[in-house]
Order: sequence, then structure tokens, then C-alpha cells
Amino acid sequence: MKNVANESRVVQIPKLNISKFTTRFSFSTISVYVALIVLLCILVSALFPSWLAPYAPTVMHTDRILVAPSAKHLFGTDYFGRDVFSLVIHGSRDSLIIGVSAVLIGVVVGGPIGALAGYIGGIVDVIFMRIIEILMTIPGILLALAIAAALGPSLINIVLAIAISSVPGYARVMRGQMISIKKRPYVAASRSIGTSGGRILLWHILPNAWSPMLVMATIGLGSAILTGAGLSFLGLGVIKEIPDWGALLSQGRNYLTVGWWMATFPGLAITAFVLAINIVGDRLQDLLNPKMSRGR
Amino acid sequence: MRGNLYQTKYLVVFIALVLFLSGCSQGANPDGSTQKSGVQTTAEPTYGGELTFALATSPDTLDPHRSSRAVAVRAFRTIFDSLVVQEADNSIQPWLATKWTVSDDGKSYTFELREDVTFHDGTPFNAEAVKYNFDRILNPATKALNSRALLKPYESAEVLDEYTVKLNLSTPSSSFLSNLSQAMLGIVSPTAAEKYGDQFGKNPVGTGPFKFVSWTENADIKVEKNSDYNWGPSYVENQGQPYLDKLIFKIVPEEATRVGGVQSGQVLAAETVPPQNIVSLENDPNTQLLKVNTLGLPYTLFFNQRREPWKDVNVRKAVMLAVDVETIVKTLYMGTYERSWSPLTPGILGYDETLENSWEYDPDTANKLLDEAGYVMGADGIREKDGKKLTLNYVDASPNREKRNDIAVIVQQQLKEVGIAVEINVTPDFMTVIYEKSDYDLYGNSQVNSDPNALREIYHTPDGSRVLESLVGGYDPKLDELLEQGTVESDPAKREEIYKEAQQIIIDKAMIIPIYIFPYTVAASNKVNGITFDSLGYPLFNDAYIQQ
Repeated sequence: MKNVANESRVVQIPKLNISKFTTRFSFSTISVYVALIVLLCILVSALFPSWLAPYAPTVMHTDRILVAPSAKHLFGTDYFGRDVFSLVIHGSRDSLIIGVSAVLIGVVVGGPIGALAGYIGGIVDVIFMRIIEILMTIPGILLALAIAAALGPSLINIVLAIAISSVPGYARVMRGQMISIKKRPYVAASRSIGTSGGRILLWHILPNAWSPMLVMATIGLGSAILTGAGLSFLGLGVIKEIPDWGALLSQGRNYLTVGWWMATFPGLAITAFVLAINIVGDRLQDLLNPKMSRGR
Repeated sequence: MRGNLYQTKYLVVFIALVLFLSGCSQGANPDGSTQKSGVQTTAEPTYGGELTFALATSPDTLDPHRSSRAVAVRAFRTIFDSLVVQEADNSIQPWLATKWTVSDDGKSYTFELREDVTFHDGTPFNAEAVKYNFDRILNPATKALNSRALLKPYESAEVLDEYTVKLNLSTPSSSFLSNLSQAMLGIVSPTAAEKYGDQFGKNPVGTGPFKFVSWTENADIKVEKNSDYNWGPSYVENQGQPYLDKLIFKIVPEEATRVGGVQSGQVLAAETVPPQNIVSLENDPNTQLLKVNTLGLPYTLFFNQRREPWKDVNVRKAVMLAVDVETIVKTLYMGTYERSWSPLTPGILGYDETLENSWEYDPDTANKLLDEAGYVMGADGIREKDGKKLTLNYVDASPNREKRNDIAVIVQQQLKEVGIAVEINVTPDFMTVIYEKSDYDLYGNSQVNSDPNALREIYHTPDGSRVLESLVGGYDPKLDELLEQGTVESDPAKREEIYKEAQQIIIDKAMIIPIYIFPYTVAASNKVNGITFDSLGYPLFNDAYIQQ
């Protein structure tokens, strides 16, 4: 009986029923909607930027440099005469690529390390966790900065730098999950009937352990984009035809006194994205928390 | 009771606030502590005070013989004097040397030296010291770069008596005196150079108007006045001790912070003002903007002719015609920088004015030239030949000095129009990429220099004596000949003709794309007076004083 109940919960968790987002009409519900719309807009602009952007992002209207926001140029123009609105739209793609791939690498590398350390325990745990702890003593942005500076500026190196600096976090969370779940009665029950270790790990522990990782990855997406923007801002980014949001911010900062719009709008785009992803991540956490679903 | 307690609390907070604020206002007045008593109302220079001057980047070393950065010269020009000085009209005047004679064959220079000069550490300045200095530059252990190039063709020195020294050259050199006037050939104290060895750059000792005090890495360089100073060059008005007690060079790489510092009073002066701020500073009643065009080689993009297809003059010409320099300079520098047309800057001996407006942006001809060279437009808008895409590897140094990285961004767009794909590679390690590996198609650089002979180091076929790899990598026999003549010719009028022809060949062969002439700019508080610039555009502080 007990086993069945557990099985059913396992099946229940991944079902992301959208109606659960909207059970009550409250401030938090509205904010979730707004956040989802913001994310959708950003996703669309990353996938199909030319649908939304009024100008090509590389066109330099050299007769119209540093023009303040107007109907013609919604976010104004930068010091090359490029349309800032179009740049922000097109820049979303690289920002998202940096964020998503850094998080994916972080999860794919950090998750298994934490899972193995937590599941096997003993000397493996000690070795892995000491390495992770050494990495954790260095602040994430500093680590990313050092890696990016050492590898040299390129998009892949930026992604790697952010990914490596996020590995310890994912490893720690996964390890904690493992340690707590492997002591659960249903694991002991399964072991007592002779299930192999690998099967227990794959069928009983992992399905119950991944939801905090999902929440963490969602929120990590926001911070990865922030870190990427930070690296670009500090001049460790790449000079590309179409700059990402961080690079735009960096270019705009020297013009704050003469053209506030150059840095402000890319900055707002980053803020909006990070805020939206945090709101959604928060909501996901509520939905995926087994303790809360048990309450229902 | 309760009310009273609250009142007491407010009073304490209020007092704390007053104390805090008064502390702030004292802190905001950096020269408050050293000001002389008594308010001066006349415009006469006053002694005392300290000047804070924000530099854009950190000097590499304060050893003039080892430095290769213009920013270092700005700092160590205050510490070191030269044998001679070059006036604005390019004439050479006495400084540490009172007079000199040149032998008939042009291969030896005999200098008579001032007898009243001592180094900051008490070492007397004499003929031995001069000999020591130039031999030090030649010594490979010193690892001299720019100074070695400037000292060429110096061979040896003979001490004739205590204050007479004869310098022997391997070949005549008409730029020798002019080069001697440069700070990178400034005279260092032999005692200190021996004592500190490799560390001399951190403990510089010279004969200049200011003495070195301290250098905090990436923060500031402090110098104080040399009260014994009495041997200033004719170029400045005050040949005696400087008016300022102290001069502090603060290193502030962030341009907005640097200029903002002048407006908020944290520093009294700041160098290299970005164009967008030049425009706004001109309307600020409390600050002044000093601007001087630098002398030497303008900011120029060099083709690497070691590589295909840049060996082909027509392909180079196509790129030259497809880059709209006028738009680049106007857009990025908002009318504050002048466009350059020649491998030399205006004002230098032999500058060829006829090159100005001698070609214009012409993408049609560029396309035609590329078609003729066999590059056909591909489906993706990039030209190709034998299956190879026409790409151009544009290397630039970081950080983004004078918006040079932004030039690359515009060039990338402009060359795309004619079907050339530009890859921009921005690297802090340009010394390796450019000079060791020659891994570039296009690279931009500029050089502050006093004599057109500087061209030889870049455009002449390597003859084994070159300090750094040439930037062009492709040579022309006629140009070689002219540059050799220019080095030895002693008649200035003839030299002018020689260098004019040399400039025409360089442009004609499209070896480079000249971009802009760098104006050295200083934003200063109105309290600061008397900052002047030498003929190369480096700031001088001999006449500087702070109005009380």
C-alpha cells in the first residue's frame, strides 16, 4: 500500500497543471501571469527577433547618433546610431544562450557529482565534497571572472566560466537530496526485497530528488544571465556584431550623462527577465514541494 | 521623562549628523590641509598646494629607458630631464647640455653640460653620468625597447672632461638630437640605477623638477617638488623650483569616474576626456578643457602583408576605399578628433598636406577591385575565391582605449557591405599576438614621436637591428631608400621632401588606413593654472599652480 502511495506521488509531481498557477485570484497570481508574459515575450524575441525589431540591429544611422527615445526610436539610439530597441530585442538571444547553456552544463555536471557523493557516501563523499567546498569558498562571480580572464574572451568561455562557478551549488543540493531520500523507508523496503543499488538510484531516489534541482535551475537561469551580463559589463565579454544585454549595458555606462537610455533599457530588460524567472521559480517551488502536495 | 529621553536621542543623532557632515566637507577639499594662509587675489603664481591628476591607465614602469607607454611618460617626465629640448617649431634648445657641436661627418656629437645639476639622491650630474645612461640603454640586460629605437645609431660615449662628453654614432642621424629631447632618453641617476637594478622603475631618481615619493600599484604615484631645481628648459616659463609642493597621479581607468572626479572636486585634473564629455564639459563654468594634438604617428590601421590576400595592393586598396573614415571619426568622436590622412601627424617635420582629401570613401571602386582580384560574391554576402571566404582578422588591444574597439565594430559593418567578413579579436595580450606571432590581418596602433624617422622602424625592410617586428610586413625598395636618406640627410628642407615622398608611397601602396589624430585632453578645475604641454603633447607641471 505504502509503495503505491509513493508511486502515485511520483507520477503526480511532474504534472505541471497550469490551473494550479491560478487557483486563487491574488496578487501573487497576477504577478505569476505577468512574469509568464514577460518570459514569453523574451522567448519570442530570442527566437524570432526580426518579427519585433523595427530595424536591423547592425544598421548604423550615423546621422542620428545618441537620439533620445521617440516614436521613431522607442529606446533611442546609441553612439553608433543603432536603434537601442532593436538591439535589446536581438540581444536577448545571446543572453538566453549564455543563461540556458550555463545552467544546463551546471546541472549536468553538478547533479551527478552530488548524486554520487550523496548516494555512495564515505570516502567518495569526502573527496567530492571537499573539492566542491574549495570551489564554494570563492564567490561565484569572482570564480567566473577568473576563469573567463584565464580562458580569454569568447562566448563558449563565458558559458563555461558561469557553468563551472555554478557547479558547486547544484552538487550540494543534489547531495543533500540523496542523503535524505536514501534513508526513507520505501528505499529500505525496496532494498530488503533485493532490488539492485542502481535500480534503487534510478527508480526510487532520482525521481524524488529532481524537483529542487528544477527550481534551482530556474532561478539559476536568472543569476547565470546576471553573471554573464556582469562579465560582459566588466569587459570580459566578446565583441560581437550583436551585443548581448550585458555588453549593451557596458557600452552605455560611459554615456550615462549624455544618453541615459543606452544603459537603462538593456538594464531594465535584464531586471525584468531575472524578476520574472524568480517569480516563476518561486511558484514552481511551491507546486513541486512534496510537503505541500501532501497537505492537499 | 519619556519625551525628554527622545529629545536627547534626537539631539545626539543631530550632533552626530553635524559632525559627520562637517567631516565630509573637509574630506572633499583635498588641498585644504596644505594651503598657505592668506588669500591671494592677484593672478601671480603662488607656491604651495598639491595637484591631483587622474591618469587613464597605469604606467608600466617609471624607468624611462624601459617604458613603452605614453602614460608612463606623463608621470616620469616630471622626474627626469633630457640633454636638450625640442621647441614647438621643432628647433632644438639647451637643457642639461648648454651647447653642442656636431662633427663634419655627422657621426659624433660633443656636448657641454651644465655644471650646477645634481640628481635627487645627491649624485652629481656630469659626463660620466651621461655615458652611463646611454650605455645602459644599449646593455641588453636593461631590456630597453622604445629608448633603444630612439637612441639608434648611438655607438659609444667618450668622457672628454668632467662636463664634456662626446657621443659617437655608427651612421649620421638627423633625428638624433630630436630623439635626445624625448623623456624616454631622460637622464637617470647612475648611483640609483646601479643600486636598484631591475627595481629602478619602482624607485626612479633623476634631476627633474619633482622627486619621486611613492607608487602604490593601480592607485597612485606621488612626487614632490625638488627645491634645488634651477635648470628648467627654455620651453617653460618657470625654470626654477616648481610652484606645487606635491603632484599626485591617481590611476582612474573608468572614464566616467575620472571626469566626474574633476566636476565633484575629488581630483583637480584628469587626462583623456572622452568625446561625449568634452562636449558637455565645454559648458561647465567650473572646469576648463585643455587640448593639444599629439605629435608622431596617428592612429593607423596596418595591413599585415605577410598574409594572403593582403600582399595584393589592389585588395588592400579595396579595403581602404570601403572604410568610411570620415563617418567613423565624426560618429565616435563627435567632432572632437581630427581625421588623419597620412602615416604622420600634422606639425611633424615633412608632413605632407597634399595627402589630405586625396581619396574618398568609394565602395563601388572597392567592389570593382575585389571583383578584378577574383573574389566573387557568395550567397551569404561574403566574397570567396577558390572556395575560401574573404575574411579579415582585425586585432585590437583591450581595454577599449579611445574607443578603438568601437572603430573595429564600425569597420566590420562597412566591410560587410563589400563582402568582406571581419572577425574582431580583442586581446589584452597584443604584444604576443601582434609582435611575436604576427597573427592578424589588420591592427591599429599609434605612436608619439618627435621626428619622422619613426617611420623607419615600421616601414623599412628589417635589417637585423629592429627592436620589434614590423607592423606592415611588406616593403618597397624605393621607400627603403627614402627612409635611409631621411635618417642621414642633415638639410631640413631636403628631409621634408624625402618624407613627403615616403608618405605618398605608403598611402599609394595602401599599406595603411590612417584614422585619427589623437588630441591629448585634460579636464581641470578652474583653480588649476599653468599646465602646459611639450612639443609632443605631454603635460608639463613646471608652471602649474593652484589658485587659492
